[in-house]
Amino acid sequence: MILFKELTKKIRKYFMVLEIKDLKVKSGEKEILKGMNLKINSGETHALLGPNASGKSTLVQVLAGNPRYEIAGGSILFNGLDITKLPTEERINLGLAIAWQNPPTIKGVKLSKLLDKISKKKIEPEELGANPGVLDRSVNLNFSGGEKKISELLQVISLNPKLVIFDEIDSGLDINKLEKVSKIIKKELIDKNVSVLVITHSGEILNFLKPEIINVLVDGKIICEENNYKRVLKTIKKYGYEKCRECELHADGP
Amino acid sequence: MKNAENANYTQMDHEVNITKIKGMEILPSNMAIKKYEWIREYFKGEPKEGYFIWIKEQINLPITTCMNIASESVSQNLQNLIIIEKNLKINLQGSCNSLKKDLCGRHISSGKIILKENAVLEYNHIHAWGNEDIVDTNYEFILENGSKLNYDYKINSTPKKIKLNTEVICLENSTANIKIIGNCENTDLEINDNIILKGKDSSGILKLRLVGKENAKILSHSRITTEAECKGHLDCQGLPIHKTAELILIPELVCRDNQSQITHEASIGKISEEELNYLKSRGLNEQEAIDLIVNGFLED
Repeated sequence: MILFKELTKKIRKYFMVLEIKDLKVKSGEKEILKGMNLKINSGETHALLGPNASGKSTLVQVLAGNPRYEIAGGSILFNGLDITKLPTEERINLGLAIAWQNPPTIKGVKLSKLLDKISKKKIEPEELGANPGVLDRSVNLNFSGGEKKISELLQVISLNPKLVIFDEIDSGLDINKLEKVSKIIKKELIDKNVSVLVITHSGEILNFLKPEIINVLVDGKIICEENNYKRVLKTIKKYGYEKCRECELHADGP
Repeated sequence: MKNAENANYTQMDHEVNITKIKGMEILPSNMAIKKYEWIREYFKGEPKEGYFIWIKEQINLPITTCMNIASESVSQNLQNLIIIEKNLKINLQGSCNSLKKDLCGRHISSGKIILKENAVLEYNHIHAWGNEDIVDTNYEFILENGSKLNYDYKINSTPKKIKLNTEVICLENSTANIKIIGNCENTDLEINDNIILKGKDSSGILKLRLVGKENAKILSHSRITTEAECKGHLDCQGLPIHKTAELILIPELVCRDNQSQITHEASIGKISEEELNYLKSRGLNEQEAIDLIVNGFLED
């Protein structure tokens, strides 16, 4: 069994879902991503940690295809296809899904209606932690923090994705809700070999999701790529992100 | 409802078809005034066409009316009267349609709807016109003591020109919830609405949801008037989604009793880019995202 798992892991390496190559992104005059590289293979769970203003939110917007961000260089490949200039909806239809940190309110559009409209596979919202009332309400209108996260989860799962990016899914959740959300991510995505990128500021959620690779983004560059997420979390907690710069595993170089 | 052959009152151009049901009298207006002299006071002169519906007993199925323009250059001139007797709870479904887009029809319609004491009326009225039609409607609702009206008026496709005048008079302890929805394109729409709260403890809510698409000109005067100790709320929202749309929303609150309370909210705003981007990140293209937001706005 262990041998089989090892073998599967090795085979996965040949199926890269996401490859970000030397990505440079500007917002106005300011360069936010300064030559970022990241590879995610099929079925892998990655974490991306970084301090405030390191470029995490920009990365999510750029992966989503938000035209407000100017790509100054580099490329984004999804399943081998260059999606750098592809419109948002086409990226999503290829199998990319994003759970947003602060999703907007869509007044008058019930969550159940939105799910009907976007679903590529049948889901059972109640089994995924949604209380029945939330489906009959306008998307995100007066949703609690926990309800917003569940709503995002339902939507991304219903898209039947190949890769899901979670933008600060852990923000504003207490430990019980964090565990509940993590269990759903594990059962519905990770255990089904969907690739996952968890972007987090606090790192708390990683104790539940146990990512295979942890990446640290500082000042627009990945400066650390490491298998032992516990070690990286411990270092950051003790010394802050600056210590990562001194690490011998420094990913993109100084 | 289009071409509804089983509606209780169907008018195709000028041809009338009536399906009677127990508990209700339904007649063309010009015949009704000959049979019931007392209803003359509700009509202006001699009505040429239109219906008289007198609901005398509880009817649990929806009562339906269907007005159609089916031929070119037809001019309908309707006078309608609906009377709902005391304590009845009635569901009324009305539709007014053009069966083709280019018939250049004219639909002029006026009337009164009277809810006797403690009557309850759920009234859904749907309009779907051709591009070249001209429509002018003028309706008055009289809500007697303790009665309740829920009126949903929906214009799914707008004609060249449309004018809607609606006045709702609320007597003691009566309630009016009026919602007017307009999905407007290549049209000149004028709305004049007024809820007059005459009776103590009466209440009225007037809600407008108007979408301005290409070449839509919308002018809406919406008013709530209080003449007793009562409560009213006016909620006008406009959503321009094309650069050629013009929306003028004028909410008016008229207070004639210092014990009354009237509130209002009004806004006109474009679709937010954040909402659009969010829906695109769910795999919808721009048009699908706009349609979903517009439908949500109209349903809200």
